[in-house]
Amino acid sequence: MILLDVKNLTLELELAGEWVKALDKINLVINQGQIHALVGESGSGKSLIVKAIVGALPNKRWKITADRMNWRGQDLLSMSVQKRREIVKSDISVIFQNPINSLDPLLNLGDQLKQSINIAALPKHLFWQRNQYKNRRVEELLHRVGIKNHERFLKTYPHQIPSNLLQKFMVAMALASDPKLIIADDPTRGMEVTSKAQILRLLSRVNQVKDTSILFVSHDLLAISSMSHCMTVLYSGQTVETGELQQLRKRAYHPYTQALLDSAPSFRKDLPPKSPLTTLAGTIPTLHHLPIGCRLGPRCPRARKECVVTPSPRKIHGHYYSCHYPLHWAGR
Amino acid sequence: MDLINVENIRFEDKISRLFTPARTVFSLGPVNFDLQAGETLAIIGDNGSGKSLLAKLLVGLETPSSGKILLNGLALSTAHHKQKCHDIRMIFQNSTGSLNPGITVGAMLEEPLILNTELNVQERLSKIDNTLRLVGLLDDHKFFYRHMLSDGQKQRVALAKALILDPKVIVADEPFAALDPSVRSQTVNLLMGLQRDLGLGFIFISHNLGIVRHVADKILVMENGAVIESGKTDVIFNWPKEDYTKRLIETHQQLVNSQYN
Ligand SMILES: Nc1ncnc2c1ncn2[C@@H]1O[C@H](COP(=O)(O)OP(=O)(O)OP(=O)(O)O)[C@@H](O)[C@H]1O
Ligand code: SF4
Ligand SMILES: [Mg+2]
Repeated sequence: MILLDVKNLTLELELAGEWVKALDKINLVINQGQIHALVGESGSGKSLIVKAIVGALPNKRWKITADRMNWRGQDLLSMSVQKRREIVKSDISVIFQNPINSLDPLLNLGDQLKQSINIAALPKHLFWQRNQYKNRRVEELLHRVGIKNHERFLKTYPHQIPSNLLQKFMVAMALASDPKLIIADDPTRGMEVTSKAQILRLLSRVNQVKDTSILFVSHDLLAISSMSHCMTVLYSGQTVETGELQQLRKRAYHPYTQALLDSAPSFRKDLPPKSPLTTLAGTIPTLHHLPIGCRLGPRCPRARKECVVTPSPRKIHGHYYSCHYPLHWAGR
Repeated sequence: MDLINVENIRFEDKISRLFTPARTVFSLGPVNFDLQAGETLAIIGDNGSGKSLLAKLLVGLETPSSGKILLNGLALSTAHHKQKCHDIRMIFQNSTGSLNPGITVGAMLEEPLILNTELNVQERLSKIDNTLRLVGLLDDHKFFYRHMLSDGQKQRVALAKALILDPKVIVADEPFAALDPSVRSQTVNLLMGLQRDLGLGFIFISHNLGIVRHVADKILVMENGAVIESGKTDVIFNWPKEDYTKRLIETHQQLVNSQYN
């Protein structure tokens, strides 16, 4: 079943008197029970997509348009703000990039966790057991994310906790409402490998045990491909390729996807130590200087003059790419 | 002869401003290693294990309480501090923060030349241009201010700043962490090239074991201020001895292996 279906999401913002497309025709489909990775460099628009989905962008400064943005068949853009908020609150949990900014500094962690516990599972006539029930759930959640000493932990405030522990706590918060989709925005950034592996294992387990879908936002390819089923690659606000991870790994059609895959030395078993890594020249453009047409153009080794027209997505075997001169496609 | 030779350096922090107030004394060391020209050493370990402190000791930002650092066989003491500043240079964890926003890249690079060399204006300018080109930037970049540079370019400027006095060793604290994949590969290639061409010694701290394995000749593993294990990269990766190292390598290996099923 399709949980989230986003088609041609475009997001414009005003920069020095001009409207620029920070997101340009983004497509994203998330199925029930899937871990879907959203990959892209810093500033490519990953967090903007997340915010657009959950409605966390103020309407004034942004123009958001889309052919559709459906959550389980219901159109999120046309429904009332109130209704949308309810849906997001009950069905979607977000683990934001900066845990310390998304927690209330004045409330201890126990209170914050309790507030987000979903009590729908508690039969109505047992309402008087509500507190007890919440306490039990809190304990269970902390246990699940591997936080020990929970009684002391719950009395502390966000700034007293090291960031990797806080990130685990954010996962517990995300699980508390029993969501259908967890959006994890770069949950392992800057972590050392053992903490990282813990978070990844945790998310994988939730996905397997509860069939919860996960949108995993990151540019850590090693992390992504250890757990994801599907992957959407973003470059400078455009979706360049989408498909099953294994297919993308085997045969990427978009030059940027290939460059991304080549950039992780751990991916390439045959790479002799100290040999130069393949890479693209230049860097991602800023919003002030977006190229016309395919935004990879100025950096793309395959670019030709047709590339000043934005390539539309093409489909092969459930795998979409947007490129005029794709790799492995010499026959055209 | 070894390019750099670190013998038994130790450090004791009595005021304990570097770490949590709960811990009154943090002691580091003893640290021993040597590095040849063109070689790369990676320092790995958890947050708070003393990696950044060790880097600061190497470049002379902190003074060891005992032990010796030899460069080309000559001891570097605080008396030779000036020479040390030239020969061992550091790139900081956050290159954006270490670039002065108020002055141009050119002025930033000229400063150390004015302070530490006898070069005249002309010579300084050509030195700046050469160094910019060495790190893959253009002469014109000397007129740029910090806010006009992309992340990758900032990293290059930080590197140019480190290279301008012709050092023999570069020490870098998490030089790749903040970089995006394509820019990261560019920087890795650039550094490996400079090592080949200039015989530069490179010491870096990183969490990214994929990169460590690819570029480092040797590894130093730190835990709670102590070096618990050190050796050639493929020896450490294939036959780790200490539990901590085993756990680290195993976790990394599991992530890598999970790619192929
Ligand atoms: N509030 C804002 N006002 C103006 N520009 C913004 C705002 N938020 C984001 N942007 C711009 O939109 C683009 C996409 O930003 P976004 O935060 O989505 O990047 P990201 O892909 O999440 O990057 P990272 O990996 O660093 O988290 C960037 O160029 C950014 O500068
Ligand atoms: S459309 Fe052109 S510029 Fe864009 S990725 Fe394809 S070949 Fe390169
Ligand atoms: Mg982001």
